[in-house]
Amino acid sequence: MSTSEEITREIRAQARELLESGQVSCIIGYEVGSRGRARPAFVHDADDVERLIWGPDCVHNLTVYLHDFKKPRKRGEEPPHVAVVVKPCDSRAINVLLAEQQIERERVFIIGVACEGVQGRGDPSRSPNLAARCIRCGDRVPVVYDVLLGEPPEVPPAEDDYADLARIGEMPPAERLAFWLHQFDRCIRCYACRQVCPGCYCTTCMFERDDGLWVDIGIEVPQKYMFHLGRALHLAGRCAECNECERVCPMGLPLSLLNRRLAREVETLFGYRAGREVALSPLLFELGEEGSPI
Amino acid sequence: MKFTTLDELRAWLNHLAQEHDLIAPRDVDGHVLYRPVASSGEILFDYERPELSTKDYFLPATEVLLRTERRGGDVTLEEVLPDRKQVLFGIRPCDAQGLTVLDALFLQQEPPDVYYRHHRERTTLVGLACPQMWEGCFCTSMGGAPDDPTHLDVLLTAVDGGYAVQVVTEKGAALLEGLALEEREGEPPPQSLPPQSWGGPRGGAPKPVPVTPPEKWRALFEDGLWQRHGERCLSCRICTYVCPTCRCFDVTDRVVEVRPGLTRIERIRAWDACTSTNYRRIAGGHNPRPTKPERLRNRFYCKFCYYPEDFGPLGCVGCGRCIVSCPVNIDIREVLRDVAERSGE
Amino acid sequence: MSTSGINPLRPYLGHLAGVKDLATGIKLFQIELTESEGQAAFADYKPGQFAFVSAFGAGEAPFGITSTPALGPTLEFAINNVGHVTNTLHQLDVGDPVGVRGPLGNWFPMNEIKGRNVVVLGGGIGGAPLRPVIHTLLDHRADYGHLTILWAARSPDLLVFTDEYDNWRSASETELHLTVDRGDETWSGNVGLITQLLEKVGPLPQSAVTITCGPPIMIHFVTLTLKKLGFTLDQMLTTLEARMHCGIGKCGRCNLGEKFVCTDGPVFWQSEVAGFLESFL
Repeated sequence: MSTSEEITREIRAQARELLESGQVSCIIGYEVGSRGRARPAFVHDADDVERLIWGPDCVHNLTVYLHDFKKPRKRGEEPPHVAVVVKPCDSRAINVLLAEQQIERERVFIIGVACEGVQGRGDPSRSPNLAARCIRCGDRVPVVYDVLLGEPPEVPPAEDDYADLARIGEMPPAERLAFWLHQFDRCIRCYACRQVCPGCYCTTCMFERDDGLWVDIGIEVPQKYMFHLGRALHLAGRCAECNECERVCPMGLPLSLLNRRLAREVETLFGYRAGREVALSPLLFELGEEGSPI
Repeated sequence: MKFTTLDELRAWLNHLAQEHDLIAPRDVDGHVLYRPVASSGEILFDYERPELSTKDYFLPATEVLLRTERRGGDVTLEEVLPDRKQVLFGIRPCDAQGLTVLDALFLQQEPPDVYYRHHRERTTLVGLACPQMWEGCFCTSMGGAPDDPTHLDVLLTAVDGGYAVQVVTEKGAALLEGLALEEREGEPPPQSLPPQSWGGPRGGAPKPVPVTPPEKWRALFEDGLWQRHGERCLSCRICTYVCPTCRCFDVTDRVVEVRPGLTRIERIRAWDACTSTNYRRIAGGHNPRPTKPERLRNRFYCKFCYYPEDFGPLGCVGCGRCIVSCPVNIDIREVLRDVAERSGE
Repeated sequence: MSTSGINPLRPYLGHLAGVKDLATGIKLFQIELTESEGQAAFADYKPGQFAFVSAFGAGEAPFGITSTPALGPTLEFAINNVGHVTNTLHQLDVGDPVGVRGPLGNWFPMNEIKGRNVVVLGGGIGGAPLRPVIHTLLDHRADYGHLTILWAARSPDLLVFTDEYDNWRSASETELHLTVDRGDETWSGNVGLITQLLEKVGPLPQSAVTITCGPPIMIHFVTLTLKKLGFTLDQMLTTLEARMHCGIGKCGRCNLGEKFVCTDGPVFWQSEVAGFLESFL
């Protein structure tokens, strides 16, 4: 397994080459932040590539920023070409965006990094403390990339045992409802979960309409309940399970339970998990033969 | 100094809870939040910085402004204002300073906001001094201090065996009438220590953060630093909602009941954020702040240029919440340092 | 529980006294206030001021007051059907209850510009806050110099106050020029942008003041054209639109830099606007 330092050097070299050749106008990667941990970085200049780093705290899914580069900078120009550093979970989101024609493959140079997990508080007994999503992640190498940095780790892919879902599933409906209403009570409707999600790119979210057609502006449990369940439903069959929504939530809502519940439902019904493969179209856009997964 | 024990404090708080809405720091699923409590047993006395400010109790996240009833062609309107008195116990000095910042707009600018004024008038602030500065804290750079009594009615400071009690206002004195106080030897805990003498999360005091005056911000409006900090912004609302001084709100009506001959409507206001993508979109579709750097710039200018120019105080108290909760590490201290450097301070 | 003093967020009650179609998607609403406090508040509003009109159940939105007190106690608003509140208003019938909050904002300095020639430029629904200006000028015709009105819309069916044009034209020392971006089979007048009309008409800048209202981009290009014709920014008045929720400088929505359109405006001299930290565009 390559070290962080080795991958850092490779990212910088790759970034320098892409910028100097003019192949891309921006590298979306990671840099060291003001609190000593990684944060997203946008490098527009070859002289700046030394800002880019790689390490076990590179938790952010940078593919959400691809939505910022869909339009040309100036009228009459083409949209820019960018490069983005992705972990396996992030790369699944790229496949979803490609299937939904949100990004053009030729305009994105994918710098894939092999990964055995990032830091988090999934299981305190593991070192480094791995994020819960990494403990159950089935991909060690990005599923789509233009260049792959780092050697595939020896740690075998994991399987999601859905133990936490089972605990919720075993609750009788009234208890399950009470559990979720209690969680949503803490929600402050900051929309960080939606904003960090590469799959949430509606120009006007249905839960933020001026006419309040579905929910009004109140930051109260009924509206928050609708928002979270509605968002989870809108991501069914589309969620790449990068778990950023749960990570960014300032109130610690266990949002992955909702998304994974629906992802498992879709897999049971259609044999399909979003982003694992390059798909030609979103799941529910194709009619298939009776009996076939799609 | 005036002194009381934890037991006395608890008994007094239990008594207060009967007649007042008592708000205090609580553990809510592992998160420390200022929340209503029914008894002192629910109160945390040993905590760092509650994750949300006390703004919610003066400018509620959701507030009913008017209850409207429509019967055919007749409409009646009623303001909604709670009757009970309120006590905010355990409020940190930075949060109290945040209320003074909001006062400059909601009370001192004509016309006063009647709802905010009502909540301020019905509430007594009993603060608890911070023993040190926490992760992200920089109140000492923003004219405050971890043990600053200025914006409180009463300040408690933990001392050996109990709390030193400092009465700051008459309102505070009136509330303390039910609390058993003794006179003890010794000076009250030293106040207004020089900023560098406060301990921070890693021992030494946090580095001071430069605050550039509003006039110097004007020259930096088109500076590249807004792009550098803003391009990774997610346009969520975390920073705005955790902040003690951000106050933008949205207003709308909602129909709450329809019966033959009677429609009940509520006009509500709810927190909003200028960081949000469509915040400034006007009828017709035009949005003068379509990019993240432009929205981020507006938020910082509002705090350090517009608010002080228009209303007096700076729109930041250095509580540090935005720093620890921003998912992409947009750090207000870093922005302020960049502004100071770019304006040649 | 009642409040002591006035609650600036509480609307005065009224009802819809009349509704007229003004243009495609635009109606003229005539509102009579029923509470004495409301009638007193609106006894003396000035051209350029605005008010929040409540469609109870949907909400409220700010509109320029398009009438003048000289017309009587009825308040008039020209409202374009573009969103939730305006859509609900458009579905109201005469007699339905509404609410009004105001009058808010500053006003056109009609006293200060006495004796000067006036050029009024209105684009589309932007004509709504200009109508009370024109009425004031016509009501006190002798107090002002030559009046040039340039009135535009995207198409003929979007021109507002068409039934008043003859009145305006026939006033002394007054000329009215109309233009549309796109004509139709009923239209035999000017076709072209208001900036092109402005260059053609070529009003002289001496002793003149201009008053412009319309979409932001129109205000921008009209300003450039006026400069070309020799006008300076301190001769140009405008009224700006911004999304508002309170109208009293609290909710933070309408700021352009440190200025709030609701309390520092909506009327501004272009020389002030040029000094704004933040562009209205």
